[in-house]
Amino acid sequence: MNAARGPWVKRGGIVLAGAAALAAMANIGFFDAARFGRGLLNTWTFLKGLFPPEPSVLPVILTAMWETLQIAYLGTLLGFALALPAALLATRTVFAPAVTLPLRFLLVVVRTVPSLLWALFFVVAFGLGPVAGTLGIAVYTLGYLGKLFYEAFEGVDPEVLEAVRSVGCNRVQLMRFALLPEAANGILSQLLFIFEYNVRASTILGFVGAGGIGFYMLGYVQLLQYRSLLTAILVTLVVVLLIEHASTRLRRLVLSDAPSAPA
Amino acid sequence: MESAAQNNSAAVEVRDLWVSYTGARFAVEQLDLRIEPGEVCMVLGPSGSGKSTLLKAIKGILKSQRGQICVFGLETSNGINGRLRRELGCQIAYVPQNLGLVRNATVLDNTLTGALSRTATVPSLVKAFHRHDVAEARSLLRELGIAHKEQEKVFHLSGGERQRVAIARALMQRPRLVLADEFVSQLDPMTTRDILDIVTATARRGITFLITSHEIELVAQYGDRAVFLREGRKVHECRASEVNLEAVRRLMGRQ
Repeated sequence: MNAARGPWVKRGGIVLAGAAALAAMANIGFFDAARFGRGLLNTWTFLKGLFPPEPSVLPVILTAMWETLQIAYLGTLLGFALALPAALLATRTVFAPAVTLPLRFLLVVVRTVPSLLWALFFVVAFGLGPVAGTLGIAVYTLGYLGKLFYEAFEGVDPEVLEAVRSVGCNRVQLMRFALLPEAANGILSQLLFIFEYNVRASTILGFVGAGGIGFYMLGYVQLLQYRSLLTAILVTLVVVLLIEHASTRLRRLVLSDAPSAPA
Repeated sequence: MESAAQNNSAAVEVRDLWVSYTGARFAVEQLDLRIEPGEVCMVLGPSGSGKSTLLKAIKGILKSQRGQICVFGLETSNGINGRLRRELGCQIAYVPQNLGLVRNATVLDNTLTGALSRTATVPSLVKAFHRHDVAEARSLLRELGIAHKEQEKVFHLSGGERQRVAIARALMQRPRLVLADEFVSQLDPMTTRDILDIVTATARRGITFLITSHEIELVAQYGDRAVFLREGRKVHECRASEVNLEAVRRLMGRQ
């Protein structure tokens, strides 16, 4: 019976998914031919306007990129400093649900809001500039790393915890001598990954006035200075690729000296 | 008075012990056991016979449903917490089956973990242990033949070396009782004998050992007393020198 029904369910599913996609396209305006024609023309004008890149803005762009990197770096460090104790307190193998549950809920809330919205919130609170961007990145990092860290702590072999606990140590010592060293490699790898992610995220913080290269990108778009925009995009591309490369190599180095089998 | 009573008491005294993980089935049933100070007591039995459960109950990791456990005159049947934890916790060293070493920490740090109960929290966070504790840890590592690896991380070590680190950590607690759960089961015969030589030498200093094992020959050679468990119950108890293959087959109901 089930075997006969299988292909029909599958076909029905495909037809439904296709119909939903077509309805969404019509609703959004994908079948507006005139609009698409204009769009293609505009794209061509835009692409033509990008070249050649404008070298005279390079000093400004490089200064802004440096600010972006500082936002990402400080934001990551601040977020890490908050995420580590939060994650330790959210670890179910060490603390009771009365402590872990509220913290986990807080981390979920923080993580749900993207860093750009956090930056917007801090622009309202602290005014325009890189401080708002740094705080935005820090809060998002707290939510993201907090979850990854408590999962890493909970992945520590229970027998190790049991053995260290049984020497008569307290919870703080248990965290220092069992949880942290056992999860250290994972923590470092995740920290490098989030820094790489934060560099990319920081490039657009300027769109909401939170500092960095994004502020100039938005300005060049609004003033139709596409050649200057291309210079900013190319600088961002090179820096992000370099950071990604360095981070990947560092992570490989960290993980190459990590335990793989239980002791 | 209390300390005099503790000094005269057995190292471990278990009376009518019942322990269950689920509440439905008992992993240890109606068990009585007495171990004198300085004894090396070997617990034998097939997998699932309740050996590890017995050790965990004595250590206070598992709570018993019924019965009484006294370690050096102090009752641990309901777990080790509060005052008991301070008084007794560090005196009972526990070496789990897979040793429970912190793999990503050095040999010296793992050994010094044994001194945590007598180190204040803040100094321990920056690994500022008492000078005499560091000296004691180094001396133990020398005695156990792994002093040259004190700065190596545990996951770089061989099985035998890890075993030595686990013993060093246990002895660093300055215990009166060591509970070791099949801790030589994964070693080659030479290393096993080396480790058990260390155990018997340590027992001569007055430290009591309760070791679970499968190795009949080793039980006879290194133990003082042997206890046989089957399906959670004690089925026999004798001098370790009387243990032989035939007796074990008969007791365990195997051919």
